Amino acid sequence: MTNTDLRNTRKVLFAKTSLDGHWRGPLLVTGALEDAGFDVMMLGMATPEETAAAALRDKPDLIGLNICGHIDVVKRTVAMLREQLPETPIFAGGTIAPWAKKELEAIGVEVYPPGSKLRDIVAAAHRLTEG
Amino acid sequence: MSTSEKPISDKEWRTVSNIPLKGAYSPQDIPDSHAEAMHAPPGAAPYMRGAYTEMYRGKPWRIFQLSGFGSPEEEGERIRFLLEHGETGFIMEHDRNTADHMYNVDHPDVIARKEDVGLTGAAIQSIRDYETVLNGIDLAKTYGHPGGGVVQHAPFALGCYWSVAKRRGLDLSTLPGTGQSDFFLTYLGCVTKQQIPTDAGLRFNCDIIEFCAENMKHWVPVSVAGYNGADSGLNAWQELGAVMANAVEYLDEIKRRGNTQVEVAARAVGGMNFRVAMDFFEEIAKLRAARKMWHDLVSRRYGITDPKVKALRLHIVTAGSAMTYQQPLNNIARGTLMGLASVLGGTQSLGVSGYDEALSIPSEHAHQMSLRIQQILQEETNVPAVADPLAGSYFVESLTAQVEEKAWAFFEEIQEQGGFLRALDSGWLHRKASKNQLDFQQRLESGEANLVGVTKYGDDHTPYELDGFRGQSGEWERAHERLRAVRAERDGKCATAALGAVAAACRSDKNIMPAMLDACDAEVTVGEFGEVFRAVYGDWATPI
Repeated sequence: MTNTDLRNTRKVLFAKTSLDGHWRGPLLVTGALEDAGFDVMMLGMATPEETAAAALRDKPDLIGLNICGHIDVVKRTVAMLREQLPETPIFAGGTIAPWAKKELEAIGVEVYPPGSKLRDIVAAAHRLTEG
Repeated sequence: MSTSEKPISDKEWRTVSNIPLKGAYSPQDIPDSHAEAMHAPPGAAPYMRGAYTEMYRGKPWRIFQLSGFGSPEEEGERIRFLLEHGETGFIMEHDRNTADHMYNVDHPDVIARKEDVGLTGAAIQSIRDYETVLNGIDLAKTYGHPGGGVVQHAPFALGCYWSVAKRRGLDLSTLPGTGQSDFFLTYLGCVTKQQIPTDAGLRFNCDIIEFCAENMKHWVPVSVAGYNGADSGLNAWQELGAVMANAVEYLDEIKRRGNTQVEVAARAVGGMNFRVAMDFFEEIAKLRAARKMWHDLVSRRYGITDPKVKALRLHIVTAGSAMTYQQPLNNIARGTLMGLASVLGGTQSLGVSGYDEALSIPSEHAHQMSLRIQQILQEETNVPAVADPLAGSYFVESLTAQVEEKAWAFFEEIQEQGGFLRALDSGWLHRKASKNQLDFQQRLESGEANLVGVTKYGDDHTPYELDGFRGQSGEWERAHERLRAVRAERDGKCATAALGAVAAACRSDKNIMPAMLDACDAEVTVGEFGEVFRAVYGDWATPI
């Protein structure tokens, strides 16, 4: 790997917003992003405060949220992240009902519900971290 | 046909677990070693063809659904609704924050996500909440599952349920029901932020098995349950091999402890849970192979001769992961097919996952549909009339033999890893599951495998959009008020002493369950038990 490649490695911070332990979805996604050359940091189950603190510390290029809980917790996490890092894009996946998906999209979060293709998620990560 | 699509005749057909499929089968496809099992009738050793001679003529399968949400009042209401509509047993669902993690709602990790409380089940923090849920349900006559799917939660869930029964003057020795304390759920499928280590979990489960052997002959103490292994990615024969490896860990430990006859413990462990997903015949083959493997395992390894112990009983839950987010009404057809496979495989009880499973916990309507699917199978199809109706099919017998052979090989692989617990501790099983997940996802994305309404035929007009369960506001506040009340109103000295006795039992070789029952009755809360368990056992070093 050249120095240029290292400098260009894009960092993605992942967190689970709830205390629900289902891991197969997030692990599939983080694995695919690692295979695509992203530097993935998996925070695990984290509160909105913990996620925001980790984002401030690690300065990721993209933040991924795995959702298996209430949408208001996700929105609070997004608000805290935006306060710290207003420019950092956020995308999300997990168990998200269509109405909740719309609410997240309305605040600028890209949402990938069950059934999404990994290649679409990887493509989104590339697009969101460009420039 | 597009140019990228192969002609049908060239397609390689395989089961989802990668067993090659021929276009037609003949007697030569059935190995000689399989003949004895094939020719033994249902209800006779090795029980491949069914645990009982009469099967569903003797007893219909139990309609057994997981249910609950919101407050203890609402959870009780949903359970009574299902029982009134024909459910023949009930499974209490719990709030993941409080139950799985053994936290009270005033734990900082729960306060940080108050809105999540009550979303997956009621927040049940003390025996008072159990009394509320179980209000109006006849525990002497109703087959109950009090929750405690997660291993560290089981002594609390069982302790509270049994204490409620005792408060009502019921005799524990005749109480019907089942525990779960599920290693696949706890250490493989749903890995919590904090959990007692696997060795401590094994000790809890053996305590529960021994307590039931002595005091509760009608209670199934734990359930060896492959569901969460399979829904995390283990294929059919991996699930089967791992379930047998799990059972062996329990029985070897019971033998080592020397308090209870292995035969008695094996009777208790010989009610197993499997997942049934969409590969129709492979899943039927898996259930038939499971019964034969259990018979062979307990006969050879433990010298067990009692036919009641050697005949494996099954509980099946249909695959939640097979339920698609897109076009969710299609899932009613999927639930029906998976339910049918479970019945053709000879299950004793069945839960059909909700058609809105990919969106949220089941709505009342989805729950009702799961019930109706089972009732239609029982009442309208004549399927229950004949035991093991696929017996003698060259294909099904051949597939059963192949699944069994591969499952034993996987069982041996787990032994080479140091056994089931070590294969969990090291993450070996998680890696097997993950690899299958990725392989299946890649097959979907390449078009080699398909999901209707997801990878194909995505343009349906849905008559309405499902909401799923939205959650309710104020659940945390109500749960917090209940917690405050129980702390203020209970006999504080009595609760402290009872919790101290639990801590002492945990640190000794004594069975923890008598102390757990006393402490649950003394209104010790789930978070207080959790603090004791964390102090005594520490945390599992999560391998993922």
